[in-house]
Amino acid sequence: MSLPARNAVIALVITLAIIGSVIYAINYLDRKRVAQLNDLQTRLATDTLSIETQFALLEETSCANLSEGNTLSREMTDLGDRLAFAETQLGNDNDQVIQLRKQYTLVQIRDYLLTKRLAEACDLDPTVALYFYSNETGACDDCDRASYALSYLHETNPDLRVYSFDYNLDLGALKTLIAVEKVEPRFPAFVIDGVRTYGFTEVDEFKLNFPKNFFATTSTSTFTTPLRR
Amino acid sequence: MGGIEVLIYGLLFIGLYFEVFVLLTFLSGPARERRARPLSTRTPHVAMIVPCWNEEPTIKGNVESLLTLDYPEDRLEIIVVNDGSTDRSGEILDEAFADHPRVKIIHQLNGGKHAALNTGIEYAKDAELVGCLDADSYVEKSALREIISCFDDPRVAAATVAMSVHDPKKPLEVMQHVEYILGIALRHVMSAVNGIYVTPGPFSLYRRAIVLKVGGFRFGHQTEDMEMALRLQREGYWIENAPKARVYTKVPASVRGLIKQRTRWTSGFLRNVAFDYRGMIANPRFGVLGLMVLPLGFLAILGGIVLFGMLIFSIVDDVVQGYLVHRGIPFSYTFSQIPHEWFFIPLSVLSVLAIVSSAGIILFIIIGKRVSNTPAKLFTGILAYTLIFRLIAPLWLLRSLKDVALGTKRPWR
Repeated sequence: MSLPARNAVIALVITLAIIGSVIYAINYLDRKRVAQLNDLQTRLATDTLSIETQFALLEETSCANLSEGNTLSREMTDLGDRLAFAETQLGNDNDQVIQLRKQYTLVQIRDYLLTKRLAEACDLDPTVALYFYSNETGACDDCDRASYALSYLHETNPDLRVYSFDYNLDLGALKTLIAVEKVEPRFPAFVIDGVRTYGFTEVDEFKLNFPKNFFATTSTSTFTTPLRR
Repeated sequence: MGGIEVLIYGLLFIGLYFEVFVLLTFLSGPARERRARPLSTRTPHVAMIVPCWNEEPTIKGNVESLLTLDYPEDRLEIIVVNDGSTDRSGEILDEAFADHPRVKIIHQLNGGKHAALNTGIEYAKDAELVGCLDADSYVEKSALREIISCFDDPRVAAATVAMSVHDPKKPLEVMQHVEYILGIALRHVMSAVNGIYVTPGPFSLYRRAIVLKVGGFRFGHQTEDMEMALRLQREGYWIENAPKARVYTKVPASVRGLIKQRTRWTSGFLRNVAFDYRGMIANPRFGVLGLMVLPLGFLAILGGIVLFGMLIFSIVDDVVQGYLVHRGIPFSYTFSQIPHEWFFIPLSVLSVLAIVSSAGIILFIIIGKRVSNTPAKLFTGILAYTLIFRLIAPLWLLRSLKDVALGTKRPWR
């Protein structure tokens, strides 16, 4: 075999080996990401359970002792960010991502329900925004803008609690929530303090959907739970 | 996976494969032997031909650099062919060298560079080897002795040198300097497998008898050096390279000038290879040149245009989407959201392969500098070459493709 022919064959083998190594390394990183997400999910579930347990003990303690809220909020924000990134890396149709998204959605719904119960029991008045988006191609041109704006509003207004849901996620609890809140498949959809609105244009215009003077106050609540898409 | 992604992966695979092939060939025996090749003890009669057309600023220095060549005076003659210059080139030559015993000045009506070269070759009847040095180029003293040793092999019809940019100062010159150094590495490696398809104007050397045998220089779609190299290859000759024979050439300092020059080169490649020498493409008889270099030359042009189009689309899309998403939200918030953890590093198979491929190119630039001992500050040059030069290249690729498709002819300058 001539030198060029030999080099051509070896080059092919090496090139395939390089590409194979890169694919393996990227898959390894993705697996590590999913493992990290799983850890966070487990921790979050434990924290939620802790809050629920504290709530069950409310009769024997005071609302001021519910100190886990801020930690839970940070963890949910962190997990939401990581999950959103994992979706862009692995794809919306990745089985592991879908499974994590379902678990996360359940945690959000539980936290949402808990928030409502705590508000009644401890005489709190949190401002809650439910946000429904769609990942289907062409279904929601403004969802990226709405997600980013909600993240910004939560970051600058810790009193605002945002729960973000993939409308098309195949999850019984989510379907029930959608039915209870009577949310139509028009995106982006919001339920802010019980009032349904659809569509997103500008941040300033969107703020009008919130209680008057809400963005003028800066008090810090016990519980905050943001999530971006 | 969409069609565009398949195309990008395909181009990356071919690019990476070529890089690995080049690296293997660089490490192989024939390339190592060429790097270690001793200076020849032979001193055949050499005629250096300088075709000159309106080279007023550089022609005197050019001839003077030839006179400093380390070579027996009685074995080297310099023939300057003033090809109908309309500036003061002819007067400058006459004033400086009319009485010089080793310099012959020939004035003729403008006939083009190929005609000027043929005039010089015709005149150099005693020469075994004839060299061409563009009037905007300068040689190092040892260049001729370095390149002569390439002709110890009787199969060799021509030899090329290590060409880089003369006194690169402006950003565009620095970028071209890096590009030329990359060219040094590639030409050196390709010579080991007879894959050279162009014998550049700045100081290529030919066996006079073979040049005459194949019919002398032709117009060659304004790339007579490429046409001659392809003709020699088609006739079964070898084209060598002397990586330590250093030559410096002036390059365009403006984007406009660069686009004009590169359009001429690229359209010359397309016209020569696609029309006049298409029989060499994918022809196993021509080895690496036929199976790899020429097809990849086409692919590089088409791929460059496609990737450029996609990049522009992607940038415009990102800017528009970014504006829409961030509209109404302070910049301070946007910047505060940049993550710092490994988790958020947006690595993908595509991006990592692109990084590996770019690393390969940087490696060859370093190799080019090392094998030729070319002085260069590589860091800024590589950055500018990678981030800017490769992005503007599609401008002349597109222009060349359009010229070839529409049959447009442009003046030399």
